[in-house]
Amino acid sequence: MTDTKTEVYESFVEAIPADTIKLETKNLDFFYGKNKSLHNVSIPFQRKSITGLIGPSGCGKSTLLRALNRIYALYPGQKAEGQILLDGANVLDKGVDLSLLRARVGMVFQQPTPFPMSIYDNVAFGVRLYEKISKADLDQRVEESLKRSALWNEVKDKLHTSGLGLSGGQQQRLCVARSIAVRPEVILLDEPASALDPISTAKLEETLVELKADYTIVIVTHNLQQAARISDHAAFMFLGRLIEFAQTAKLFDNPKASRTADYITGRFG
Amino acid sequence: MAVLDRRNRRQIANTAFVTFSTTAAVIAISALTAILYSLLVKGVSGLNLDIFLLSTPAPMSQGGLANAIVGSLMLCGVAMVGAVIVGVLAGTFLAEYSGLSPALNAYGSVVRFLNDVLLSAPSILIGLFVYYIAVKPVHGFNGWAGALALGLIAAPVVTRTTEDVLKLQAKQLRESGVALGAPMWVTIQKVLWRASSGGILTGALLAFARISGETAPLLFTSLGNQFMNFDMSKPISNLPAVIFQFGLSAYDDWQRLAWVGALLIAFAVLSINILVRVLSQEQKRS
Repeated sequence: MTDTKTEVYESFVEAIPADTIKLETKNLDFFYGKNKSLHNVSIPFQRKSITGLIGPSGCGKSTLLRALNRIYALYPGQKAEGQILLDGANVLDKGVDLSLLRARVGMVFQQPTPFPMSIYDNVAFGVRLYEKISKADLDQRVEESLKRSALWNEVKDKLHTSGLGLSGGQQQRLCVARSIAVRPEVILLDEPASALDPISTAKLEETLVELKADYTIVIVTHNLQQAARISDHAAFMFLGRLIEFAQTAKLFDNPKASRTADYITGRFG
Repeated sequence: MAVLDRRNRRQIANTAFVTFSTTAAVIAISALTAILYSLLVKGVSGLNLDIFLLSTPAPMSQGGLANAIVGSLMLCGVAMVGAVIVGVLAGTFLAEYSGLSPALNAYGSVVRFLNDVLLSAPSILIGLFVYYIAVKPVHGFNGWAGALALGLIAAPVVTRTTEDVLKLQAKQLRESGVALGAPMWVTIQKVLWRASSGGILTGALLAFARISGETAPLLFTSLGNQFMNFDMSKPISNLPAVIFQFGLSAYDDWQRLAWVGALLIAFAVLSINILVRVLSQEQKRS
């Protein structure tokens, strides 16, 4: 691939009805120190659907994801400019309560990261932070979250054993359960299946498809088949730019940008 | 021919090197064995129930080490409480917060450097320092000063281990806590400290082992006490000082007690080290 600064980046963004947009970025730039790694990204995420972010390594898809819940703010020197609108309110505004934002916009990481505590406590962790609820209600919330993440049947008899004792796939579904227990509105997933075997991956995908009935889901994936299988919309990113955003079927069958076509047919990336 | 020569030379060099390092290892081990052997031979014979029940005797009379054992436990216990609180918080600052801004970073570097200096400071200097700030002003040797001196030796060890184990935790574990809406300080307390507890405990135990045999700082601070004493504001007896005093004395029964005291300390340190090994094995397994 040759790339020069003079090259024009065409961007094809399919519009979606404004009243179905849960979250969107407008002219988002992102900086690691002086390094600009997102350029003017404007992308909508539809309510109660799955949006897949695809593109070669280093294209900025994880950076975009990490901007959405401002997790990057843990690291001095990283900053976002532009707008990220959650229900129309800009989460990049100064006064935004970051903890509250992250309770509304949950995140699941590439490596499963169960906390060193029991399965029950893992799921109850976030709930206890924000809600004072009775033991019975908490029990119910834990059960419901584990059921929704398709883990309940495997762990219901050992809720009080360590979460570290689960298999990788189970740990990842535990992380999903932990996220949905706090009843977020959006769930961000950063290559959640890349450390999992095919069967665990299939289970996780099923879980996500069921969850989209209630949540807005954004998933970064290296696996094009996975994006094709589960996402409703897909976005192709390249060199920190959004190249194409469309309904998944359209993007895969009939891409408008030549770069998208090259990538999904395996010509580079 | 030249090839063969070179091979011979390599073989000789290799054999010589193995021999040297093996010999060095044998010397090191035999020193340790000799120490443990003489401790056992001279210490075990003096072991009896009186050691744990009676206080240190006047010359030529019956007695034990009860006041020194209790005193040592009190001094080390108080020292460790302080050292763990200060050390864990300081280590947490260094690992989690010192990277947040250039100013904190500069401050963190200074703290880290001073901590390293303190880590290798001669304990007699620490004793002298505490003598001038906690003994002289109150006109008397006292247990608090002894615990302070021991705490100053233990705290840097805890600080260093805490920083190291926290830094070993995956970045994503931190982010997971924060991503659930937990503020950083809650994530540190409930997730990171818990994940690092084995390592922090190991550091604390090693610090405990380190201070349990310190003599010099105690001679300047807590000194010693012939009687059982639970009052930290008065001089408190302790095993290292008793070993020092009795071991150098001319009385046979005092010397015997010194050996028993040395055996007790050595056994305690050995047990702590074994415990640390077991703990870190378990840590690895989980």
